[in-house]
Amino acid sequence: MKYIATIDDRSFEIDINEQGEIIADGQRLSVDFHSVADQPVYSMLLNGESFEASVSTREMTVEVLLRGRLFLVNVEDERQRRLRETTHMELEQEGEFTLAAPMPGMVVAIPVEVGQSVEKGDNLIILESMKMQNELKAPRDGKVSGVRVSPGDSVDQNQVLLTLI
Amino acid sequence: MFTKVLIANRGEIAVRIIRACRELGIETVAIYSDVDRAALHVRQANEAYLLGPAPSRDSYLRGDKIIEIAKAAGAGAIHPGYGFLAERDDFAEAVQDAGLVFIGPRPSAIAAMGDKGVARATVAAAGVPIVPGTEGIGDLSDEDLLAVANEIGFPLLIKATAGGGGKGMREAASLDEMPGLIKSARREAEAAFGNGNVYLEKLLLDARHIEIQVIADSHGNTIHLADRECSIQRRHQKLLEEAPSPFVDEPLRQKMGELACRAAEAVDYLNAGTIEFLVDKDRNFYFLEMNTRLQVEHPITEMVTGVDIVKEQIRVARGRKLRNSQEDITLNGWAIECRINAEDPYNNFLPSTGQLTSVIAPSGPGVRVDTGVYAGFTITPHYDSLISKLICWGETRGEAILRMRRALDEFRILGVRTNIPFHQKLLASPRFMVGQFDTRFVEERFKFEENDEEQERLEIIAAVVATLVTHRATQEAAQIIRQSERDTSNWKWVGRWERMQR
Repeated sequence: MKYIATIDDRSFEIDINEQGEIIADGQRLSVDFHSVADQPVYSMLLNGESFEASVSTREMTVEVLLRGRLFLVNVEDERQRRLRETTHMELEQEGEFTLAAPMPGMVVAIPVEVGQSVEKGDNLIILESMKMQNELKAPRDGKVSGVRVSPGDSVDQNQVLLTLI
Repeated sequence: MFTKVLIANRGEIAVRIIRACRELGIETVAIYSDVDRAALHVRQANEAYLLGPAPSRDSYLRGDKIIEIAKAAGAGAIHPGYGFLAERDDFAEAVQDAGLVFIGPRPSAIAAMGDKGVARATVAAAGVPIVPGTEGIGDLSDEDLLAVANEIGFPLLIKATAGGGGKGMREAASLDEMPGLIKSARREAEAAFGNGNVYLEKLLLDARHIEIQVIADSHGNTIHLADRECSIQRRHQKLLEEAPSPFVDEPLRQKMGELACRAAEAVDYLNAGTIEFLVDKDRNFYFLEMNTRLQVEHPITEMVTGVDIVKEQIRVARGRKLRNSQEDITLNGWAIECRINAEDPYNNFLPSTGQLTSVIAPSGPGVRVDTGVYAGFTITPHYDSLISKLICWGETRGEAILRMRRALDEFRILGVRTNIPFHQKLLASPRFMVGQFDTRFVEERFKFEENDEEQERLEIIAAVVATLVTHRATQEAAQIIRQSERDTSNWKWVGRWERMQR
């Protein structure tokens, strides 16, 4: 079965054969793929070279932690790719972004206000948790459309703090 | 002499203290909050008692309740660990008033070192150099601050007199920007501490944070256990420490050690403590503050001196003399500690909480792991994010670094994100390897997400892994549908069929 794996803007064509063999980027490789002790950890022997990776899947993205580095991989099979290409389904930048609290904590400061334009990476909320002040940043450019909390508020995990359009 | 100790702490440090007690044949009493019932320190202590709900102020900060538990359990002493109540002179006082031994300094020494103005004045009087600034006067007017700023010289720091943790702190590069910065520093200090007073301190460039471990007994002996390098920090949080410092030579070590002992003696210090210094690139050093407690990074000193600091603390608290004189203390090899925090280095070091599904700690030659967690334990957002300390010893600094890299590779923690990838990258950076860094290195010059050759090679490997995982998930989903057609095994099915035919 043929897949296309994408990391950032680089794509790799990976063809999985049934009997312990793959073709990655035109290279034929023997592969032994083994999940370790019922954990999301995999041991992989690729042409004899041993790799170990922990893997978690979030929405469409496969997160692979390999040798101390994190890779975010999008995997599609041929059918999905064709479908996406014909419908021009692109990752949309529009729509509302909701900033939810990644953990319970206390809102220390809100350096932005409603109506303010922000750039990707700007601090939106400072949340204190685990004795640390954590900066929650804008994932993209946009405009603050709503602030649902005030400094000093205690918030629960996943509580909506702020929205961007 | 006490034979039972209550440990007024949790996590790895509580476990560390329990270990010392057990080696000395002393009984241990643990305390815990609602969410820590299954914590390692509770499992390892001889006795354990519930304090209250999870938030620290209802549990680990309840000094009154802790003293009550100690008395009820028949403990003769309390070890505060670090954090929580460790540097509260009123708690130390209350422990003594209850007729118990506080394993730490006298309350008067905690109080003297806790007030920044008093601490600076006291050690300066004892002949210890302090960072130039506005000494002794914490409530200068804006005009006075501007007048004195030129004498101190730029760049300088505006700091909150009542402050800490970087709140109300501003950096000023010139006189022009001073008025605005003083105003905002005052506002922030007022909001945070209810006190808008600020003072000025010269900003040392290229400064390193190097500290000296001291320990004193009640017979008038104070010795130091050499230096620790703690310049690898992020937002004033230490991440990695090493002993000794690659920057300190023997004459400097002796000089800093002597002055550290003198600073401790100036407040009639008892038990273990740490004098923090800032050291500039010309090897001038200045007193920063004293931590009147056991430090997180004490193990690296233990590794290179061979002294078990926690056991020594207990002996000193029992009224014994120090086991070593200054001449006995020699350094052997090199030690590094990496603080393993439940933080996501790929997402701005946000704390990561949840259940640890798997923990495999490194082992082998020269490796020590101090931890308070295990697989199945849940990391909650109530306490700090330190889950483990990985300490490696080597004959040389080079060996210690390579050993640490090996040990980090072995460390497997699943369930929460950790800063292990950060440490791996740091230990591979050329500037760290040659020992050229200061307190701003991590924030200003170190690029965590920088790509290199290895990155490209691993990308395709990661792509293969992700594809195989996706493929497997698809196959399994397909199999589950097939299985539901007949959910028992064929053998069972045949057996039933045969019985029906009888």
